[in-house]
Order: sequence, then structure tokens, then C-alpha cells
Amino acid sequence: MAAALPHVLSAELQKRVNECKLLVVGAGGIGCELLKNLVLTGFKNIEVIDLDTIDVSNLNRQFLFRKEHVGKSKSQVAKNSALSFNPETNIVAYHDSITSSDYGTNFFRNFDIVMNALDNRAARNHVNRMCLAADIPLVESGTAGYLGQVTVIKKSLTECYECQPKARQKTFPGCTIRNTPSEPIHCIVWSKHLFNQLFGEEDPDQDVSPDTEDPELAGDAGESAMKEKSSSDAVEAVERKSTRAWAMESGHDPKKLFNKLFRDDIKYLLSMETLWKKRKPPIPLDWENLPDTEVGTEEAGIRDQRLWAIKECCSVFSNCLNGLKDELSKQGEGGMLVWDKDDMLAMDFVTCTANIRAYIFGIAQKTRFDIKSMAGNIIPAIATTNAVIAGLIVMEGLKILNGDIEKCKTVYLNRQPNPRKKLLVPCTLDKPNPKCYVCVAKPEATVVCNTDKITIRTLEDKILKVALGMVAPDVEIDDGKGTILISSEEGETEGNADKILSGFGINDGSRLKCDDFLQNYSLVLNVAHREKLDEDKEFELVGDMSELQAKEEEETEKKREENKDDNQSKTNDVSDDEDLMVVDEPEEVICQPVVSRKRKAEDELTSSDTPKKVKVSDVQEEEDIVVL
Amino acid sequence: MASTGKDGSDKNNKYDRQLRLWGDHGQAALESARVCLVNATATGTEILKNLILPGIGSFTIVDGHKVQGEDVGNNFFLTKDSLGESRAKVATELLGELNPDATGDFVEDHPEKLLQSNPSFFNTFTLVIATNLCERTLLQLSKQLWTNNVPLLVCRCYGFIGYMRLAVREHTVIESHPDNTHEDLRLDRQFDGLVSYCDSLDLDSMNKKDHSHTPWLVILYKYLQVWKQQHNGEAPKNYKEKTQFKELIKQGIRKNEEGVPEVEENFDEAVKSVNTSLVATNIPSNVKSLFEDPCCKQLNSDSKPFWILVRAIQQFVEGEGKGALPVRGTIPDMTADSERYIQLQQVYRNQAAEDVAIVTNKVHDLVQSLGRVRSKNAAFLRVVRCRSLEEEYNSATAQSQEIESHIADEDSDDEVVFYVLLRAVDKFYEEFNRFPGWYNDQVEPDIPRLKEFRFL
Ligand SMILES: [Zn+2]
Repeated sequence: MAAALPHVLSAELQKRVNECKLLVVGAGGIGCELLKNLVLTGFKNIEVIDLDTIDVSNLNRQFLFRKEHVGKSKSQVAKNSALSFNPETNIVAYHDSITSSDYGTNFFRNFDIVMNALDNRAARNHVNRMCLAADIPLVESGTAGYLGQVTVIKKSLTECYECQPKARQKTFPGCTIRNTPSEPIHCIVWSKHLFNQLFGEEDPDQDVSPDTEDPELAGDAGESAMKEKSSSDAVEAVERKSTRAWAMESGHDPKKLFNKLFRDDIKYLLSMETLWKKRKPPIPLDWENLPDTEVGTEEAGIRDQRLWAIKECCSVFSNCLNGLKDELSKQGEGGMLVWDKDDMLAMDFVTCTANIRAYIFGIAQKTRFDIKSMAGNIIPAIATTNAVIAGLIVMEGLKILNGDIEKCKTVYLNRQPNPRKKLLVPCTLDKPNPKCYVCVAKPEATVVCNTDKITIRTLEDKILKVALGMVAPDVEIDDGKGTILISSEEGETEGNADKILSGFGINDGSRLKCDDFLQNYSLVLNVAHREKLDEDKEFELVGDMSELQAKEEEETEKKREENKDDNQSKTNDVSDDEDLMVVDEPEEVICQPVVSRKRKAEDELTSSDTPKKVKVSDVQEEEDIVVL
Repeated sequence: MASTGKDGSDKNNKYDRQLRLWGDHGQAALESARVCLVNATATGTEILKNLILPGIGSFTIVDGHKVQGEDVGNNFFLTKDSLGESRAKVATELLGELNPDATGDFVEDHPEKLLQSNPSFFNTFTLVIATNLCERTLLQLSKQLWTNNVPLLVCRCYGFIGYMRLAVREHTVIESHPDNTHEDLRLDRQFDGLVSYCDSLDLDSMNKKDHSHTPWLVILYKYLQVWKQQHNGEAPKNYKEKTQFKELIKQGIRKNEEGVPEVEENFDEAVKSVNTSLVATNIPSNVKSLFEDPCCKQLNSDSKPFWILVRAIQQFVEGEGKGALPVRGTIPDMTADSERYIQLQQVYRNQAAEDVAIVTNKVHDLVQSLGRVRSKNAAFLRVVRCRSLEEEYNSATAQSQEIESHIADEDSDDEVVFYVLLRAVDKFYEEFNRFPGWYNDQVEPDIPRLKEFRFL
């Protein structure tokens, strides 16, 4: 085995490679490449965990999988394929979620190094916390198209995955989605919600019917719409029955559904006249009288790459309803479908309904190919990038095993060589952020929100789980009495879910003690009460109070500046109580090299380079050597 | 591109994640590629794996070695039970399983023998990849390929270091998929179709809805007219003028009865686009240098279609284009009603079609018949040329001085030192038929032997 290695690794390092235990989290694009590299490097004890099953769209890069494996467990098949090539390694495979309570700190402590090969931020946050809690070094990685990145995280020594705030997912106000779409993405989000309303998990935040509580309807203009509302009670009655129940009763009849969604609901929207004073009003469609639309597009032929005329959208709509209805009934009583961009019918459904809605609102229509990209947040992926990144993961892993963790680097893979002709750019690892709300000794964070509007459910689901990455939080108020708001034990605090924060005496300055037992993570959450937040946000998280104050001062300053400018267009006065729609996050989120990092990388190189002549560019005029 | 693969899978699904990177044309180029790998080393099979997965048309492995113990240890595509078998055959079988759409073939022979018995064998490939090939054979192979303009990728790995080198006489690219490109809007060189379309719209007489749904491109056009009237026909040139120009546009936002400006997203977009849209239409330097290239200037009967196209575009630039490339014909997404958006899109498309027709005519004039012309991508034309391996390896033409300047400093961590080292290792191997340091007891004595090699 690994016959060439004695010449490459020192005897001591080779011994450590043989003896060490590794956990690989994820058996996808990076995971397959990583398993191959680990086996070839001589690692003997590898455990791999992945929740996913194999999809056709994985086959262009996840080389341990074949067509006949589609639908099977990624971790199991990856293990078997890797063993068939090299049977002498011990590989344990788990077809499971790494966030499951079966994998606590004791599980993580079994390993010498944890290597992430993940495609989503929630799991990365969780593994980050588990490795901090167990004090195990973590090699973190990500790819997107030709770009990639590898970094090393070690408690107290380096930045953790959550030390720097990541860009938030883009969200849209509910009323924009339901009442006044103006961009293709608004129609696409609406269509995905429609899919869930009809076939998937019903979520009150994903209502697709006209929103009568649109803040634009406030004031006297709203009154008339409210009156209209009572006159169209018949429509409302249907509405309240839930879109899904109604669709079921009608047998998913395409004509009935179409006329409800694209005629009656649109007419109802038109009755809210205030909305259309400054906007182009939508045009309701009727199943019996569809427009002949000529859609000029260059690439005729390929179904994915040309625009569909409205009539074609409608026939696709009809086919999809039939197909999806059958799939749903196969699930039996109480079954549901999960929207998946790689599912033919689910994707067709979103394409046709989004385009019909776009037509109604005079918004540019999109091809199925483009809609798939937007609806699924598709990040392009190829084997080559994953192979390069997986190689770098092993290199960092070897440094850790060799006791050289301080020599570890963050390495970025660029698409084009940088000015110094480097395709791979190494940067020194940063020290932990003393204000990080995860890896400091006593983490604190501040949430800005309206305590009269935010419910305990929102606190748990949106703030603690989504925004702060907890899996099963316990929360008590730090009020000396220890009032328990949320318990991770089932059945203990469900009654609180719909109550508002102020109902428990939580107001500006309150402190909440939040614990995640599994993550071994405790956080003090400070509450800052504000009546209204910028950009219709429901809440906002800031590191600590001083940051919030600084930010608010800056904003006041900015507003003062803006007020001087009488040409400044009035910002839309939207009230603060609306729910925000969330678009799924990208599959493979990686932290792009931020400017300061890039500069630091250059600085670092320059400083070590200073003693000698830097003339690389001269030689390479013709040779064009690119340094990897 | 056929839409169904050999395993019956839908190619659009299987290749979805990469089609978003290189598009249909890129995929078609990949699927028509015939790739030859010389030596199925660990590096070689790794490269082929990454080409077979995304779907190259076919691959051929040339290798005369038998599978040995060390291969099994470092090569994922050679297994223990295949010890003693042909390395080419075993690797072809295992790699072939990765993707039924890529046809695999092998030649169980040493490349140096094949070069003697059937040198033209290599001419038929789109690309030849040679890994860990000794210098002598490499030079022969590269000479053969250079004459026939087949790209050769030279790879050499040695422990933690390695190098890769492309040797191609000329490689031309029509769609180079650049990362960031400016839109080609021609606000500084307004063509007739654009002028007459924009002039047919009157912002002042529009109702509220139409006013706030006029594409920002039209708004920029309108206010550019106003600005030019006030500034002797000149467009805003510098930062200060552009800021003033933005103010001018902002003043066009409608106000309600109380004099408060309305929300007009299209005007916001117009203001935001001032900096990126008022750039001068120019010819990218990579395209300019193509125009200056002898291959473009001196066309002959052997000229490649690429150079005929470049020449036709150059003639267009000097003639009808009045110094500019053909219009690309695409516009970005913007807030607008679909009717006027589509009309505006059509205006640009028509102009692009007109320009392409002129270039096509010129191509016809230059040569009898040529296929479809894609001059709308004229800004993305690119050519890659390399020095030949022969020049690099010949001490008379090698760039010895520059290389020496990199390694003069003993403490240098310049990567060029690895290049020199790897070349020396090749020389060492040729003389001793083994790699330096291969035997543990030879490591020390090998060092001065290695230092002996001065190929520069
Ligand atoms: Zn941290």
C-alpha cells in the first residue's frame, strides 16, 4: 500500500497518518475527491457522514457514483466504491444528518481531525460549534464553479467559521411576492410557494393569495380595499379553506386552479386600487381565452433554453398538475412532496406558473434554464475544482498531524492567476474575533426587534435556529426568576409559541440565556427594542450593544446628510410587521476572499519576498508559467 | 449536443452544473474532443478522470508499462488484482466506467516506439497529455505535435512538487467567456435604430405608469440629449460632470401634488448606470493585437477560418463600423414594461444582425464559403501561443539568464527553483535510470550528482 509514500512523508508523519482517525462530513463533490485522496495518502480510519442520496446531476463530478446508484445513500455508495478500489482501509459510513443528537461532543472527540466537505451554511455552523466544543481541529472547504477555498479552524488559535458575519440571504417582503411583484425572482418565489401550498409542507409564511394587510393599503386608501374585501367574501371563504384543501376537492382541475390563481386572485388584487396608482396594473387571464404570445428568442428548439409562449405554459401547467397529483397520491394520506430543482415536474411547474404570473404583471419572462438557476440557487460545480480543493484539504491535514498547525493557511483557488501569477493564493490564518458570538469564552449577541410583534416561535425558528445556527435551543430569561421561554424537551413550552416577547416582560435591555446542549453552546442574547427597523426587516442581529450604537449614530448622520438633498426620493414608508420571504441559500456557500484578506495575502508575500528581486513577470512573457 | 447520453440519462440533467459554467458551445467542444494520455500515472489518470466526468468524446491511453505495486498504492484507477497486467488496459477500463458517454481506447506500447513506428498516430487528437515522460521522448513527441498544431500538455510530478506546461503553436478562441464585461450599449455612438426608437418616445407626455416603466436606457439617452445641448454636444466626461449628469436625471423624477418626488425605480436604475454605461465604446486590447497579427494581415489559402473572421471584423471596424466592433446585441435586465423592453431589445438585436450580415459578406468575399459567423462575440476573440518545447530545452534558445536570476539567491523561495530541479531530475533519470534519492542509502551521495547537471 501507498508504496511511493516513504519518499514523501517522514516516518513519524506516516505513522501518524496510519494511526489517526478522521471524520469526513459530506460525501458529495468535495467528499468523493477527498475520500480518494485520503485512501491514497494512507489514512486507515475514516468515518464519513452524509444525509443525501445520489442524484443524476451529481454524476458529472462525484466520481464514486454511477447511474445505477441514483437514489442510494451517498455515504454508503462512496464507502463501497472507495473500498472496491482500496479494500485495506476502514471506512465507516453514516447515512444521517450531522446535526442529529446522535453525534454529540463525545462523538467528535473520537477524531483527530474533522474535514468538512459540505454544501450548506447551517451544517457548517453546526460542525464549527461541535469542533470548538470538542476542541478538535477542523479543515473547512467550499467550491463554486472555478473558485474554491480551504481553511483551518482551531479553538483559541484561529478564527472560527462564524467569526466574520456572512452575507445574509436575500429576502423579499411578503406583500411584494403576493401583491406587487416587479422582478422575475418575485414570480419564481411565488411559484415555489404555490408548489408547497398545493403539494408540499404548508407554511403560513408562504401564502400565495392576495395579501389584504399590505402596508400600502394603510390609511383611507386601504379602507376602500377593505370594503371591497367584504364584498368578495365568497372568494375569501374559498381562501380560508386553504389552497391545498380546495385544490384537492377540485381534483387539481387545471382550469379551476388556473382561473382561481390567474384570474380571480388577480381581479381581487386589482380591486386594491391604491396598489396600482403608481404601478402598471396586472392583466387577469382566462383559461378559455388565452393570449397568443409570440416570444422572440434566438435558440429555438432546446426546451430549456427558449421562452415558452403562454399557451405552452398552460399545457405544461395542466400536465404538471396531473403528474404531481399522482405523485402526491402515491404518498398516501397526509403525504407531501418536497420541491426539488432537479425534479422534472417540480421544475416545470415553477417555470410555467412563474412565467404566467410574469406575463400578467408585465415582467420579463425567463427560460426554464434560467429559472432553475434562480429557483434552485444553483452553484456551478465541476470535478476539477473539487479535486484541487480536496488535495489542499489533505495538505492542511498533514500539517496538523505533523504538529505544524501554526503553519496552516487559508488557500483560495482563483479562476485567473493574480498579478503575481498565482492561481492558488495562501493567506495567514486570522486570530479569533474577540467579538465573535460563537467562539469567545462568554458569547453575547444583540437582537434588534419590536418586542410587541415578535413571537416566541419567531425567536426560536428564525432568530435562534436560522440566524444563530442553534439546533435545539433552551431559553430562559435572565430576570432572576429563571422564567423558561423555550425548552428543547418536547411538550414543555409549546404553549408559548404564539405569545409575543413583551408578554413575558421582555423589553429593551432584557437578557435571554440561550443554551444548545448538543452544541455545548451558551449565548446571552440581549434584546434591543425598536418600533421600526430599516428595510422592512423583522429583526436584526448585531454583535454587541456598542456596535448597535455606532451603527445607529452613523445612520442618523447619513439621514441628516440625505435630508439636505431635496432631490432625494422618499423611501417607501412600509410598516414593520410583515413577514419576510426567504429564498433558499446557495448550495455551496463559500466565503469569497474579501478585499482585506486579499491585501493581506499580497502583503504577506511581498514582505517575505522583499530581499530578492521580483522579476517573475519578465521571464514569463513567453513561457507564461502559472504558479499553482 | 445530443440530449440523451449512452446510459439513457438526460444530458441536460447530468451536465446541468457545468453547463452553467461553459454553456452549450463549450459542452459541444468538449464532446467533440479526442484526448490522448501518454502514461497512465497517478497524475495522468487524475487528469483524465476530470475530463471524462464532464463528457469528452473519447480518450486513448498510450502506455507500455505493466501495473506494479507502487502504481496500486498511488493510483486510484489501478487495483491490486491487476498487478502485472497492461497499465493502459486496466486504467482504460476503470476510467471508462466513470462516464459511458466517453469512449475509451488504449495502445499497449511505449510512446517512443509508437513515435517511430507510427508518428502520425498522434496527429488525430484534439489534445495530447504526457505525464512523466523522459526528456528525449518528450522532445520527439512535441516536435511531431507542433508541426501538426496539436496542443501538448506536459506534466511532471515529484512528491509534493510538480509542473505543467502547455505547448501549442496556436490556439484560437471565439468565445472566451470573460468574467466581467461591460454591456455594449453604444450610448456614445448611437446607431440609427436606437436614435429613432428613443426619439419616438416622449417622457413629458407619458402617463404616470408609462413614465415609471420607461427602460433606463431610454432615460439615459433622453438626458444625454439634454446634457449635450447644454455642453456643446459633449457627453459628461469626468467624475464631476457625471455627478452633475446624475443630478440632471434625478430632476426628471415626477413629483406628486405636494412636490415630493415619486418612487421611480427606472430613474434610480438610470442614475446607478451612469458610470458603467457612459464608457467609451472601444476595442479590447486582445482584439486589437489580433488585428495587428501577421496571420490577420497576410491571409493566404492556408489561413484558418479564425483568421479570416478576424480580418473580416477588422475590415468592418475600419469601414462600416467607423472604428467600433459589431454591436453585441444584448441588453441587461431592467425595470420596464415587457412591451417596451422587448422593443428595445429588438432595436439592439436588429443592429447586431445588420452588423453580422456585413461581416458575413466580408468573409464571403475573403473566401468562398464558411459556416456560421459569430461576430457578435467579437470582443471575446483570443489567441494563445506558446514557445515550443524544443526552444525551451535547447540551451541556445532557453531563457537561461532570466532563470538564473531567479535562482541566484540561495535562500530564495521562488518557485522557478522547482522548475530547475525537476529538469535536473529528468537528466538524472536519463543517466542513472532511477530517480535521485530513490534508495534510502543513496540520498546523500545523490545530492552532488544532481547538482552536476547544468543544462543551461
Ligand atoms: Zn468565532
